[in-house]
Amino acid sequence: MDNRILTHASVLWLPHSDYIEAGMANRPKKIRGYFPLSVATGIIILIVLAIIAPNAPWLIWVALTVLGVCAFAMNRDIRKAQQVTAPAPALPEPVRVQPEGPSFQEVLRAIPDPVMVVSGVEPNDIAGRWVVFANTAAREEFHITGENGLLVSSVRNPEVLEAVDEALFGNIRRDTVFETSGAQDKFWRAWTSPLPVAEGARKLALLVVRDETDIRRIERMRADFLANASHELRTPLASLTGFIETLRGHAKDDLKARDKFLNIMAAQAERMGRLIHDLLSLSRIEMNEHVPPSGEADLSLAARDVMDSLSILAQEKGVTLTFTGPAPGAISLVADRDQILQVVQNLSDNALKYAPPGSEIELEILTDRTLEQAIAARDPAAAKLVLLRPDRRDDFYTVIRVKDHGPGIRREYLPRLAERFYRVEGQKSGDKLGTGLGLAIVKHIINRHRGGLVVESIARPSTTDRELLAYDLPDKVAAVSDDLTTYTAFSAYFPQPRRLKA
Amino acid sequence: MNTHIVKTYGEELDQLSAEVVLMGGLAEAQVADAVEAVARRDVALAQSVVVRDQKLDELEKDIERKCIRLIALRQPMAADLRKTVAAMKIATSLERTGDLAKNIAKRSMVIAEAEPMSPLTRSIERMGKLVSSRLRDVLDAYKSGKLDMAMAVWSSDTEVDEHYNALFRELLTYMMGDPRTISACTHILFMAKNLERIGDHATNMAEHIHYEITGEDYVEDRPKSSTF
Repeated sequence: MDNRILTHASVLWLPHSDYIEAGMANRPKKIRGYFPLSVATGIIILIVLAIIAPNAPWLIWVALTVLGVCAFAMNRDIRKAQQVTAPAPALPEPVRVQPEGPSFQEVLRAIPDPVMVVSGVEPNDIAGRWVVFANTAAREEFHITGENGLLVSSVRNPEVLEAVDEALFGNIRRDTVFETSGAQDKFWRAWTSPLPVAEGARKLALLVVRDETDIRRIERMRADFLANASHELRTPLASLTGFIETLRGHAKDDLKARDKFLNIMAAQAERMGRLIHDLLSLSRIEMNEHVPPSGEADLSLAARDVMDSLSILAQEKGVTLTFTGPAPGAISLVADRDQILQVVQNLSDNALKYAPPGSEIELEILTDRTLEQAIAARDPAAAKLVLLRPDRRDDFYTVIRVKDHGPGIRREYLPRLAERFYRVEGQKSGDKLGTGLGLAIVKHIINRHRGGLVVESIARPSTTDRELLAYDLPDKVAAVSDDLTTYTAFSAYFPQPRRLKA
Repeated sequence: MNTHIVKTYGEELDQLSAEVVLMGGLAEAQVADAVEAVARRDVALAQSVVVRDQKLDELEKDIERKCIRLIALRQPMAADLRKTVAAMKIATSLERTGDLAKNIAKRSMVIAEAEPMSPLTRSIERMGKLVSSRLRDVLDAYKSGKLDMAMAVWSSDTEVDEHYNALFRELLTYMMGDPRTISACTHILFMAKNLERIGDHATNMAEHIHYEITGEDYVEDRPKSSTF
């Protein structure tokens, strides 16, 4: 088929099997009649004319007319070929589970795991595998629309495609593990098995896929938790044991030292407690990350609650919290209430940690944003980075933006912000309380809600940067060092179920 | 899917895009495996990436042959011609992507012998994930003919650049801190550069998709972020 040049006419003369091979199952039977008939008539008329008047010049005109008629007939044939579909072959009565029960096809459709039947003709043509049956789960999970489609447009993992080929032409059963990445990683196990078909018919294979994300997640979570916990708890634990040794030993009777040590020990124990708490909640959130939330939550309400809970701490630091956005009750998101609260809480905690005394922390809620609007930076001069981007595109998003006027984060530190235990250089041993897990938790929660996270910041350039600037653009460096308002703003955005304003 | 009178012509065009998607799947797997080989210091996996690259080359040649045959025999016009040309160009980009992945895999074998540098390989892993998701998005856009999806990939290339710049600085600090790490760090730097280029190829493919669907070149300047 591949090496044959098909002109319009030759298509009509192909044997039936070639049509089947080309995927044209419904080759019309009628087509054979028109074209040969018109050609034959034309030739007969010509011969008759040639006998009656051998030297007439109008013969050429007649011949041309006849040819035109032939072309017209041919064209009509082709039109017909497209329109006329062979009568649908009478489907055999489906085999039913019970006489009046569902057919086995319907049973297959109801199976929660994706099930597909794949057909193939040539062994080496991996791109030419067709999905001839897909159940409901397969259609949803692998975006199969219409009656049947090419297998590669739903599954393009090379190992799975190879396994399907082995089942089709090598009669080999196999299972393959593959991963579809995205905002939420998914792990799958694919079983492939040959299906019996009659001799000479198209080969068929069965492809059953199972979602193994849960199992993999549990495994990974356990490993991660152990690694993180043992690594991060070691330092405070070591310092605790150190102080205990000292208190047992020569500091036994030193009242002043004992008090001091006990204070440090209490702080370390507190830190360990916080760490364990954060690690546990991170693990819990990660476990459910691929399960979309189902409850309802109000962002404005969450923001108000967080502001209330932080008010005392903010007063102590001399920081004011301001809020702009719709009143509570105006917008409700499909979300887990506690988790939304935690997002706002963690972002505000962070802001409070870095806000200098006397400054302002701005909480702002924006509704009816498109994805582009939600991501766009407010200030073009600021360094901006999308820390998380949703896989799916919703029409509208609600954005909560938390902005502090702290020292800002330099551009080069932005990409690692949401990483576990990552601290921006120079604040590792600082006075800031924190486990380094806050933003990681925020990111995982937002990911579960199919939302996104953007950070935007203006910071003082580093010394090297300033030297470089001074060398290249001496005017600019003066502008930079004089009055630069540094800030950091985190914007978390969540899909909004409906548009608020008309 | 297509409205050609001669159905096999349409079939051939569909077959062509199916092969490009197949090739895309392979390139995707190559990138993912190469990055995993770096993260897990898995020499066997790296070797299999190097071996599998040949398949990508063959596929590219095959697609190119089919495109030329199609142009010669069918004289495709308008949308069909664009589809053919885009398939050819995307195949070339995918082949380059595969080469870059192979290079990452080769380098991973070298750094697997050195001391583990987990913060740096983690950065590579993170960047690799980002680039993989670009590649996946652009292939999904190609397969489903969604223009907005392709353009989203096109406009989000700055993120990859940011990661590259951050990693560059990180590497500098490492190398200044301990000159013994210079050789491994250089390899990591090249890996990051390769990933960054794979990201560029993804944006190029997005441009080809734009051309295939609209018939116009995408002329806007790409958002660039540079701190150097």
